[in-house]
Amino acid sequence: MSEPIDVVLVDDHLMFRAGVRASLDERVNVVGEAETVEQAVAVVRERRPPVVLLDVHLPGGNGGGGAEVIRLCQDLLAETRFLALSVSDAAEDVVAVIRAGARGYVTKAISGADLSAAVQQVAGGDAVFSPRLAGFVLDAFGTAAGDVATGDDELDRLSAREREVMRLIARGYSYREVASELFISIKTVETHVSAVLRKLQLSSRHELTRWAAARRLL
Amino acid sequence: MQTPVRPPLRRPERGRVLGGVAAGLAAHLGVSVRMVRALFVVLTPVALFGPLLYVFWWVTVPLGDAAVLAGVKPAHQSRLAPVLSPARVQQLRRLPWGQIAVGTGLVVAAIALLLNRSGSSIGSSWLVPVLLLIAGVALAWSQLDAVQKERKVEARNRVSVLRLVGGLVIAGVGVLLLVGKETEPAVLVQTTVAALAVLAGVALVLAPWWLRLVRELGDERTARARESERADIAAHLHDSVLQTLALIRSRADDATEVARLARAQERELRAWLYDDRPEPGTSVVAVLRATVAEIEDTRVGSEGEAVTIDVVVVGDCEPDQNTDALLQATREALLNAVRHGRPPVSCYLEVGPTGVEAFVRDRGTGFDLDAVPSDRFGVRESILGRVRRRGGTASVVCKDGGGTEVRLQVPRAGAATEAADQPEERTMQS
Repeated sequence: MSEPIDVVLVDDHLMFRAGVRASLDERVNVVGEAETVEQAVAVVRERRPPVVLLDVHLPGGNGGGGAEVIRLCQDLLAETRFLALSVSDAAEDVVAVIRAGARGYVTKAISGADLSAAVQQVAGGDAVFSPRLAGFVLDAFGTAAGDVATGDDELDRLSAREREVMRLIARGYSYREVASELFISIKTVETHVSAVLRKLQLSSRHELTRWAAARRLL
Repeated sequence: MQTPVRPPLRRPERGRVLGGVAAGLAAHLGVSVRMVRALFVVLTPVALFGPLLYVFWWVTVPLGDAAVLAGVKPAHQSRLAPVLSPARVQQLRRLPWGQIAVGTGLVVAAIALLLNRSGSSIGSSWLVPVLLLIAGVALAWSQLDAVQKERKVEARNRVSVLRLVGGLVIAGVGVLLLVGKETEPAVLVQTTVAALAVLAGVALVLAPWWLRLVRELGDERTARARESERADIAAHLHDSVLQTLALIRSRADDATEVARLARAQERELRAWLYDDRPEPGTSVVAVLRATVAEIEDTRVGSEGEAVTIDVVVVGDCEPDQNTDALLQATREALLNAVRHGRPPVSCYLEVGPTGVEAFVRDRGTGFDLDAVPSDRFGVRESILGRVRRRGGTASVVCKDGGGTEVRLQVPRAGAATEAADQPEERTMQS
């Protein structure tokens, strides 16, 4: 068994923090907690954890919530990775934290074991997509057959393979199941997911920019 | 029995002849409109009492629909109510023919008077300028209607500006005619310029005060909107969340029931917070969500536990016969997954440009379709057959690592031509 991963837990509800701490298994070690934007930035800068579990809605700061925390910690993104954790289904919440630099987005209904696994994945440099986030990506990038990226450098469209991976994740498949379904290795699945995450962050696609602009996230 | 509440005194927008005073009074007092109008006419010879009273009420009685005000609407309904009902839009779009006729008449009268004056002078015609003055003032005041309606409709604004300008011009001409009856035209022009200069000066001095008033009005409006939003949310929380919490507390020892209540409440709150509430009958996604809600509320899993179904949707469209069949099949598949499979149960619906796809997945041990006796209709008829008859494809896939997935796809009615002749085939088979 490898070393447990240090995690800072940021959420403004004491009860929820206690619940998450209790549900995480031995793969994860909570080293700090915060409940406002300012506290979060201070704790993250002090502890320098490999992973931060971050709520999307937080009091304090300029009202930017989790996305603001990530922006204020921009210089740490090489060593500290953020995993957004939220009850919200709203597309603008997802877009805000992902575009700010979060490595994944899971909903709070996730089980303790799944969350621990997600933390491990994020710590390993991979992106974590919940079915809902995958569904959102498909919504934003479109599912029309002709709308397919041909080159790797094309940021505004998904490649055919990336779309297949996203659809399987949206259908509730784990990375392992996606790999066996498409006859590719798990590593390849992770590469595709990371590529989609990058596109989500860098794309200037109309739908994404519209959401971002409307919320003054740009 | 309760005595019926008298509707408040308001001037209605519909069914009015002039300012809606008579109609409003009639509704308020519960008498016929004709009687009120007749009374106003009868009172006219008595020192102009009727018209004066009418104008007084016109100015002081606020505009509004007494029937709407009388029936107190719940907060959640007013939140969803459209800002402009179709009837109101039509009301606004209709040209104000009466006003146009009056305005044209007044302008013609003014021109005739001017011509008359420059030609042969009519000595004792002070009555006409006074009438002109009154008409101008009345025209300007009539825009009080437009100000009271808190709606920024472009056409309405333009009309009110026209009214103000027209009223000012007519009243100004009236005043000039009245005051300058005996004076030289040159002097008249001079005094006019002087009067305008004074007016401009006063306007310049009063401008900041007026601007502040406008800004304060705007602030107050936003504050009121925020307040009503808060009351709205509070009402909703009280209606749903607090009641559910009370229910949960009273049934704390029944874990399944508590989970079910919590899930139902979560779903409702989510719909209230995040959904854009499509019109009924226009959204496949809404139908699917309603189906899932019904299953979560009424069914239990294979071990008697509460059921949760993760739903992910991409795109949306209006329901048609094909999507109806797909959703019915999806419902059967979900019921099967809940009854025989193992959680988590996921459901994915994708509306593409040419077809609609649905996937239902569970983590149960799965089953062999060929092993199911052919007289069992469940899967074969209600899921697979239903979709295939619509020109779609359907399959059941069992995974090695456990779990079953039902894959369904139908073409969209508008997109595929071969789907058009499907209904007959359906009636033959079913």
